[in-house]
Amino acid sequence: MTAVRSRKSKSAKNAANAALTIILPVALGVLIVALWQGGVLQKLFGTDDYVLPEPTRIFSIFQDNSSAVWANIKITTSVAMLGLLFGSLLGYAAAVLGALKPGIGAGALAVVGAFASVPLVALAPVMNNLTRDVSRVAETRSFVAKILVVMLIAAADMGLNAYRGLTELPPYAVDLMKTYAASSKTVFLKLRLPNSVPYIFTALKVSVPASIMTAIVSEYFAEFNGGVGRQIRENILLAQYSTAWVYIMAACGIGVGTYVILMIVRSIIARKFHM
Amino acid sequence: MKKSIFEKKWVSVLFWIVLLIIAWEIGAFIVAATKRTPANILPHLTNIIAAAFSTKQVAGKLTASEVVFTSAGATLFRALVGFVLGAVVGYVLALLMKLSGIVEKLIFPYLMLIQLIPVIGLAPIILSITGDINISRVIISAILSFFPVATNVLEGMKAVPKDNYDLMYTYAAPKWMIFSKVLIPSSKPYLFTGLKTGAPMAITASILVDTLQGDGGLGCMLSQSLKHAMNIYVFWLIVFFCAIIGILSTYVIGWIELAVTPSLRVERRTSRPGRPKKNKKALIEKNGGMNNDSSQIQKV
Amino acid sequence: MKKRNLKAVSMMMAVCMAAGGLAACGSSSSSSKTEETTAATEAAAAESTAETSAGSDASSSDSEWGVPTEEAERVLKAAAAAGQVGNWGNGNQYELLALLTKYGLPTDYVTEDFTMDAFDDDSITLASAMTYNEMGLVKNDYDGGYGYGDSVKTIDMNDEGVGMLEDNIITSKKFAEENPQTVQAFLYASLKGWADAVADPEGAAQIVYEAGSSVSQDHQKYMASEVAKLTATDMNGDTVDQVGTMDETAMQQTLDLAKKYIALDDATAQKKLQSLTLDDIRDTSFFDAAMKADGKSFKPEKTDVSIQLKWLPQSQFMGYYVAQAKGYYKEVGLNVNIISGGGDVAETTAVNNGTVDFGVTWVSNLAAADAGGMDLVEIAQIFQRSGLELVYKPENFQ
Repeated sequence: MTAVRSRKSKSAKNAANAALTIILPVALGVLIVALWQGGVLQKLFGTDDYVLPEPTRIFSIFQDNSSAVWANIKITTSVAMLGLLFGSLLGYAAAVLGALKPGIGAGALAVVGAFASVPLVALAPVMNNLTRDVSRVAETRSFVAKILVVMLIAAADMGLNAYRGLTELPPYAVDLMKTYAASSKTVFLKLRLPNSVPYIFTALKVSVPASIMTAIVSEYFAEFNGGVGRQIRENILLAQYSTAWVYIMAACGIGVGTYVILMIVRSIIARKFHM
Repeated sequence: MKKSIFEKKWVSVLFWIVLLIIAWEIGAFIVAATKRTPANILPHLTNIIAAAFSTKQVAGKLTASEVVFTSAGATLFRALVGFVLGAVVGYVLALLMKLSGIVEKLIFPYLMLIQLIPVIGLAPIILSITGDINISRVIISAILSFFPVATNVLEGMKAVPKDNYDLMYTYAAPKWMIFSKVLIPSSKPYLFTGLKTGAPMAITASILVDTLQGDGGLGCMLSQSLKHAMNIYVFWLIVFFCAIIGILSTYVIGWIELAVTPSLRVERRTSRPGRPKKNKKALIEKNGGMNNDSSQIQKV
Repeated sequence: MKKRNLKAVSMMMAVCMAAGGLAACGSSSSSSKTEETTAATEAAAAESTAETSAGSDASSSDSEWGVPTEEAERVLKAAAAAGQVGNWGNGNQYELLALLTKYGLPTDYVTEDFTMDAFDDDSITLASAMTYNEMGLVKNDYDGGYGYGDSVKTIDMNDEGVGMLEDNIITSKKFAEENPQTVQAFLYASLKGWADAVADPEGAAQIVYEAGSSVSQDHQKYMASEVAKLTATDMNGDTVDQVGTMDETAMQQTLDLAKKYIALDDATAQKKLQSLTLDDIRDTSFFDAAMKADGKSFKPEKTDVSIQLKWLPQSQFMGYYVAQAKGYYKEVGLNVNIISGGGDVAETTAVNNGTVDFGVTWVSNLAAADAGGMDLVEIAQIFQRSGLELVYKPENFQ
């Protein structure tokens, strides 16, 4: 009886906790926006509402140009997501190779990891040049170049994490597989693959925001003038901070949106795999 | 078990590096045969090495290598200061978040959000706050590197086994003692994981913020040589230099970790022959430290 | 709520349209004025070429700058149809937009990076190039160059009547108000440096190179000679007597084109842009005072000042480096720090927030910045004609 009650109160406590997790940041957000709109934030930072325009101004510019903003968001998001997809597949493939052929694989992963340390600013222009022959249409080849940059970054994250998932197996499970005299194929399908799933999400947690940032930065250098990143740069160079803020907000929005989606997918899959 | 020569990691790494070099050179030959200005696209590695040792003056009175090293000084210094600042702030934030669940709930989402704001949008605001471009650069580097430290340390503090607390409770230890005797020591490996992630990011960030204004620094030289204002090989030298420094930074943090963690040295020594992969930490070492669970955001 | 928004939007549109109409009237009237002046100056130019046919470099005939208009139209149309017209964007594109509009073409362009690789491999067949920078790389075969020599042809923005003024000196209105003597002294010494540089570009190039330039010595020299031409020749090809003069006609043409082709998403800024007049963006009083000064009686309010260049350290900005090297700034009691540009924080932002005191920018960027809410003002105009050209290989357009 008491046990049931305590469980009940515990779940109530959990619910309250979960509610707090949402309410607190939202409250802080509302406070920040209020201070921002009221000009207090600007005073606090010693800046003016020129560099840091009020939220209402940003929103009204967004309203005035919503179709253009959406078009740019679409470009950036599709670059980031396609790059993420290809990069993650490549990284996972490298990890599988590493797990099946441990000797060669370890080196491969070290090399892939090294790519994560190469500054983006250096990669993006090189990719532009390498993809010059892809298409006569600047929009297409520029799209490909941007995707390739995102791909490299995403591949590094996925490769390193998935390799851990494929190799760091629970000892009892390995022993169990041994007692069944399971073939390495079975071990791979029944043990390694499911074991790597949480690690895939660990990688994605890093690489989803990273892909978006990468997409934005490679847009600075890209040949075709589209995308959120390009708009931010162009507007800041032209000293149009209010408009730049619309796109900065858009960049944050894409990041938060994709992260939330990732978390939802993760929680759904988590239930399936008992993560 | 059959012994392969790939058993040793460095052999395997070498194998892949050689493979990459071969692929690069094949590419370079193709580019050299089809393009008018191959140096802009994919030059031969030998040319890049030659450029590093060339005594030809490419900017003012400096050779290509001198350009790289002099500008690297400024950039790496800013990266170091920003990194240390970021690590300290990250650690303090993690402590605060551990101390109070409310603080964690309140600020954690915003820590993530800050990471998502493009630097180039952040820069003018920070510039108008500080009024000095170099201070702004350091602050931006710090902003970009504090996150991995904060999340890792927080995670480390949360991962402390309940038994350790119970022990302290039986001693009726005050809160500060729990922190100093339990939480801080046991979060140390996590701190270093965070630092290993943060170090290359601080360097990348420092290079990026160089380009905010055109005075000195690797980022400036990189963009200048890309804009053909300078010998294009300066660009290639900087790309390689950055990659090497980025990788090296992870190892340096690893050495520091070894130096300040005597137990780890013992563990490593005992685990080396015959008993591979016994503990998780050794594994982390093996994977080059790029494998922490928490969010490492490649920031720009 | 929604209705009110709609109303507000429609009102805003009405205002914009009205403003646009007015602007169009203004520009058409001014363009007819320029036609008159061009006719007058053409005659003058003909005279001056007759006089100096002995071969002085600075006042050479128009043919040096670009191809004839009919040829330009043919090439432009072909390149535009193929989608192979290039520009860097980021505020460098307005002259190109004006040119495309002039020939009734859609105003799309491909983004050039800061190399001429895309021109070299024909993915951009009609590429934007500055006479003093990219053209040097295209033509010459020194370090970083492509070595096309005179086999390439150019379309010149000044010839096409869509030239916009570029490098100038700006400061914030607040700084100018508080430090009038500093501004005059800075102008006096800078313009003295520029005059020297124009008289001896080769010597100036050497000074820039030694000041830690990022560009090879050969390119520096080429750039210095081209920049000297832009500084000493106006849009009609006539020689300009005084470096730094703010020519009314050229500035008006620039502002009119800026109003027409700068498209700001921010409705408030767009409206402000349309309402700008020359008096809002330039102040001739400091220039006039500096011209009258003897160079010894300045009492600068602030002695440590800085100027942010628009781009990397190179001969494009040789005047300031010459003034520095020859001690002209010291003579007027100033200690000047020259900060190179080319970064993400634009020179307009840096001047406006007070991180630097003076800046070099383009008139169009200045107009956009003031429309966006900055309070900047031009105090001298260094380049007297547009340095933008479109370069092409004739064999691609046969």
